[in-house]
Amino acid sequence: MEGIKITIAIIIAVVLQWTLRNVAEPLAYIDFPLIIVVYAALQRNAIKAILFGTLAGLAVDALSGGLLGANGFVKTLIAFIVSEIARRVYMDNLLLRIPVIAGACLLNNLLYYSLHRLLGQEPAGQVVVIMAYSLIGTTIAGTIVYLILDSVFVQKKRPKKRDMFSPRRQTRRRNPIRLNK
Amino acid sequence: MIVLLLGNFILMAFDAKEINSGQRVLRVWTQAAADFVQSPVTTITSAVTNYFQSFANLRTAQTDNDLLKQRVQELEVELKGKEDLASQNERLKKLLDLKETGKYKILTASIIGRDPSIWFDSSIINRGSLDGVKLNMPVVTDGGLVGRVTAVGPLTSQVDLITRDKSGLGAVVGEISSSNAIGVVSGTSKRDLLDMRYVPGSIEIQVGSIVYTTGQDGIYPAGLKVGEIVEVISGSATNPHKISIRPSAGLNSMQEVGVLIYEPPAKEVFEQKLPNAVATPAKGR
Repeated sequence: MEGIKITIAIIIAVVLQWTLRNVAEPLAYIDFPLIIVVYAALQRNAIKAILFGTLAGLAVDALSGGLLGANGFVKTLIAFIVSEIARRVYMDNLLLRIPVIAGACLLNNLLYYSLHRLLGQEPAGQVVVIMAYSLIGTTIAGTIVYLILDSVFVQKKRPKKRDMFSPRRQTRRRNPIRLNK
Repeated sequence: MIVLLLGNFILMAFDAKEINSGQRVLRVWTQAAADFVQSPVTTITSAVTNYFQSFANLRTAQTDNDLLKQRVQELEVELKGKEDLASQNERLKKLLDLKETGKYKILTASIIGRDPSIWFDSSIINRGSLDGVKLNMPVVTDGGLVGRVTAVGPLTSQVDLITRDKSGLGAVVGEISSSNAIGVVSGTSKRDLLDMRYVPGSIEIQVGSIVYTTGQDGIYPAGLKVGEIVEVISGSATNPHKISIRPSAGLNSMQEVGVLIYEPPAKEVFEQKLPNAVATPAKGR
């Protein structure tokens, strides 16, 4: 069930990434697929996170002027690293997740830029400015998205009646059958 | 994980090798799928924006109206003069037997999507192979040259801008018939600047001159406006000028573009031009 929810979240993230730049240019600095890939990796299921990373990355690459596979490569790697960290370190607190999403965003941009330079492509714009804006935008959006996802994904247990009230005190009755008599 | 990483890396390397020549099937079909999302979003967004824009415009409507009335009167006087000049021009053209240059059919298209990655600036237009768009067709606006088509789906196409660092085109400062300041214009990765190289340093170049395409690159037809020169670092007799150009197409704000239905003339095989070559029929590209 959780897998289906994350799949839906990643589809929405890719669609938002495709369309939001049309609405307002600054929204392009937010990397929605990365936010969901990191969230999936924080669930400690490395294989699922890696697959989500590859698919989301390729979906963004397909509409981008950049190299096909660059985002797929970077997001796969990030999903693996984050899931390995999450396996070793306690990450269920939202405050601890903020530096993770910030670090993932920084690594994502650095690797993406480096891969393009390595293969002879020069991305447009000023590197430092783009990375800074992307870091701020993705970290803020990521924190909000995680709050929403946590409230959606965490299954609320209905408290049972016996958990709500203290058990009624039973008076000890005397055994009417007296065996000793 | 290693298999996925390797797969992505091979895909990337293959794409980097043939970035200017071919298109990827994955890219084409994803674009076709994305069209069903992007087109409605663009329509809704522009409708909402126009609605609020109309409120903002009302505030300045009275002032604009007065200014426009004054401008109409000025233009009427100007038009009289232009009509005389046009008829004179027509006569001179007939006299010189000049051919019309606007001979390419233009397919108008709307930009329905922008590059999802902030690192690049390609655009998606709502015309594809079903409308007659082909790979490498030039894209223009009323201001000038925008770029070329780099991926064609059935309903949509991807356009790479001339500002991209890998783009290049043959260009000339001023009209091609009256200037020999020919060079190569390429992108700089800066969104509002192009470089022009290989213009001989012995030719005088003025800031503010207009640069046009020469048609020698095999992609763009001759005579398209590229931009205006904003900076010239003068060269010498042995060193070429370093020229910076601002694109005239308004690349940051375009909503509508035109795809030139233009296919460059087939190149002749180089050997045929050699004096000793055996005559063989010319092959197309």
